[in-house]
Amino acid sequence: MTPGPLVLLAALGLVAGILFGPRMPRFWLALTLVATLSGLAAALLVLGGGPEWEWRSAFAVGGEPLHLRLDGLSGLFIVLLSVVGSAGAIYAREYWSDQDHPHSAPRGRLWWSAMILSMIFVLLSSNGLHFLIGWELFAVSSYFLITLDRAQREVRMAGWLYLAASHAGTLCLFGFFVTLAARTGSWELGPMRSQANLAPLIWLALAGFAVKAGLFPVHIWLPSAHANAPSHVSALMSGVAIKMGIYGLVRFTGWLPVPAATGGVIIALGAVSALLGIAFALAQNDLKRLLAYCSVENVGIIAIGIGGALLGAAQGDAPWGRLLLAGSLLHVWNHGLFKALLFFGAGSVLHATGTREMSRLGGLWRSMPWTAAMFALGSAAISGLPPLNGFVSEWLVYLGLLDAALGRSTAAWAAIPAVIIVAVAGALALATFIKAGAVIFLGAPRTKAATQAHESGPLMRGAMLAIGAGCVAIGLAPIIVWPAIARAVGTWDPDWLALEPPVPLTTLGAAQVCLAVLFIGGVVWLWRRAHANGLRRGLTWDCGYSTPTARMQYTGGSFAGLAGGWFAWILQPQRTLRRPRGLFPIRAALVERVPETVLEHVIEPAAAVVMRLSRAARQLQHGRLHFYIVYLAGGLTVLAIIVWLGGIS
Amino acid sequence: MIEVLEIILRLALWLLVAPLLPGLINKVKAWVAGRRGPPVLQLYYDLARLWKKSVVMSTLASPAFIAGPAVAWVALLGAALLLPLGPLGGAVSFKGDVLLVVYLLAVARFCTTWAAMETGSAFEGMGAAREVSYAVLSEAALITAILSLSVQSGSVTLNDMLAPSSGAGAVLLAGGLFAVLLAENCRVPFDDPNTHLELTMIHEVMVLDHSGPPLAVVLHGAAMKLLLFSVLLSEAVLPLAQWSTWQASTALAGAVTAVTIGVGLVESLLARFAFSRVPLLLTTAFLLCLFALLLAWKGGAA
Repeated sequence: MTPGPLVLLAALGLVAGILFGPRMPRFWLALTLVATLSGLAAALLVLGGGPEWEWRSAFAVGGEPLHLRLDGLSGLFIVLLSVVGSAGAIYAREYWSDQDHPHSAPRGRLWWSAMILSMIFVLLSSNGLHFLIGWELFAVSSYFLITLDRAQREVRMAGWLYLAASHAGTLCLFGFFVTLAARTGSWELGPMRSQANLAPLIWLALAGFAVKAGLFPVHIWLPSAHANAPSHVSALMSGVAIKMGIYGLVRFTGWLPVPAATGGVIIALGAVSALLGIAFALAQNDLKRLLAYCSVENVGIIAIGIGGALLGAAQGDAPWGRLLLAGSLLHVWNHGLFKALLFFGAGSVLHATGTREMSRLGGLWRSMPWTAAMFALGSAAISGLPPLNGFVSEWLVYLGLLDAALGRSTAAWAAIPAVIIVAVAGALALATFIKAGAVIFLGAPRTKAATQAHESGPLMRGAMLAIGAGCVAIGLAPIIVWPAIARAVGTWDPDWLALEPPVPLTTLGAAQVCLAVLFIGGVVWLWRRAHANGLRRGLTWDCGYSTPTARMQYTGGSFAGLAGGWFAWILQPQRTLRRPRGLFPIRAALVERVPETVLEHVIEPAAAVVMRLSRAARQLQHGRLHFYIVYLAGGLTVLAIIVWLGGIS
Repeated sequence: MIEVLEIILRLALWLLVAPLLPGLINKVKAWVAGRRGPPVLQLYYDLARLWKKSVVMSTLASPAFIAGPAVAWVALLGAALLLPLGPLGGAVSFKGDVLLVVYLLAVARFCTTWAAMETGSAFEGMGAAREVSYAVLSEAALITAILSLSVQSGSVTLNDMLAPSSGAGAVLLAGGLFAVLLAENCRVPFDDPNTHLELTMIHEVMVLDHSGPPLAVVLHGAAMKLLLFSVLLSEAVLPLAQWSTWQASTALAGAVTAVTIGVGLVESLLARFAFSRVPLLLTTAFLLCLFALLLAWKGGAA
């Protein structure tokens, strides 16, 4: 079986989904599942060792024949897209149902199919012009998905910001592809590492793809877009769409020659994103914003791996470069899975309580045990804890960085700080997710909404369980996914294909299985012992205080206060405090808000300057004809003087 | 068969020796203060008693309240098994096992703080917040110490990393790791393990609500963590590979005892620091490890 018919089936299914989706929800779900599963099968055929698939059309689109190519790298991303795309479609059927959202649910189905189709097109297309077209379609369809709930002003603002940022990135990519086509004389893409004159172009690509990937400081669109989109859309955006920026980086650093500094720059960007992304995440009180900032951190870790791979390639194909690229690509999968799981969990909470404010929740494990368990699993996985999948990819990245440090080459100067930053980011991630999980699911309900929460239905739970199973499976048997990762690494650089992992991945997998068994055994043992001895319930011991209330619990803000304080220089938290006064204080309040520092303190002032200049320029255009005649006369006079002086050479 | 026997012996060693350390520390403190103090084996008696007691669980807590201590304990035991015991090496040894040890400690932290947050108590929230925040700094110091050891030895496998001495940087590394040990195990000057009911506690306040067998598991896990860090510190500093098996074993046992006595002395002679000064101390520990790393780097290059 070749991937060709499967790709065709996937494309047909998605096109049919666009056509029939709005009217026929069940048929649409079936179509989407068939399409994503056949896309998955096609990608797995290639990743499993089959030959690459290439196809050129006889007809032309926009003056160029279609050129599609399914290789290891695009296959890797298609697998993730198919898994999250299908799980999200199942989840959305219940989460964003036609009963609750009669107007936006049909639109949601249409754009969901369109977004998956355009992403697959971007991943497959091997022609610069078509890549750009696909990229634009992908950006536009995700804009419509983000703004599904467009009656709300906040959602429209988020969508607008996304569209503006996305197009700023696309502008760079436009420059990149056009210059590339001009220098090579063709829109065709493919390996061209030997043409050294193309090297500087990578900076344009880096700028364009970094915006989509959400690297600090061009992540400005990401928090509000991910927070305001419906949760299944956030899952697809955070799990897969931002990875398209990563795909672009990996793809074009593999195909094009790069200047020597690229690796170092990408590592630096990644390290800054990892550290500051998680610092911002820790300080958030909006659950989905927290998850969005955490994506910035994870993209940072992925970027550290890519930058390290470039350094390794520059230093005589050092073996640690492959390790870093492999770890980074595995982290693309892992982050896609657990971030989708966490956004699904956040969606269930939002669905049940109607709020994303963590300080209004609490004690939800009682009414939503499945969601709580799955969110805890996702939290452990994203904190990189063994025996789950996050640990495997972070372990590979660490090993690559440590080997680079041991190599004592110049790369060590990047690797040593990177190791420390990844470790610090890991510890902060743990704090962030303890905060999120505990404030939402543990303790006592803080508001009425939290008391009246209900568990989500079978479809939403099923989607979460399926993705959660993926997290556990990769954690326990990393050796199974290695060939796929190796294949993708081999696509990046054919000399780097290593079907046997260069590190003891099998031993790690065995250790993880042992740990999982022991964890379960330990829990069962202690549980039985506690029950055998007799277990009764009592009030929480609050140092003798016998009437605690839910409002006396530690909040997310106070939990993050200590570590967040160390980052106050960048977080710039704004607090309004109204102290209790007098003997019988009537009211007191403390409101703390963490602004979008980069957006509010850098981008918006800069945009304000541009707006002021444009407004000043607009003064010239006021509709008074006699002034226009003066402009004309002035212009002609200036031209005449130039001609008289002999022109500008 | 030999392997199974070895694992069992190793388990027995870790499980049985660990509760000795807190007893020793208490004895040292009593001796400095001129008291008789509790017996060295006091923790064993406490554990045996707690294991038989019934459990009171908060009305707010989920089953994870009991699962948390269990997973944390298993994670600490797993980390202990990976740590080489001088000439014996680790129970399992592979490239990158040191990272598994660091992350198993993180698993223990995740489960302890999660279980603490189960109760909805503001005190336990404070303890958990401090635990995860200070861990950020101590993790930076720990990973830098690991970098220094692996640059020194040219390996990322615990068995090879811990066999030679850490060279010129040994003193710096010892200082840094000792501070990390005190912070991670919640000893003075970071925390005071003697009091339970103050706003200022870290570890003890997180386990306020535990009782019966879960509390026994928590206490035993804490003792194991102390032993683990003492062994790590001793092996990082001593050149165990140069000595014969018996010499190395004796040296290791002696060093662990010395570290324990050191903890007791620090606890007797120092007061707990104000919380605002804790980050400063941990940053100093990080810098000590960083200088050890630089020394290891220069030493290898020469």
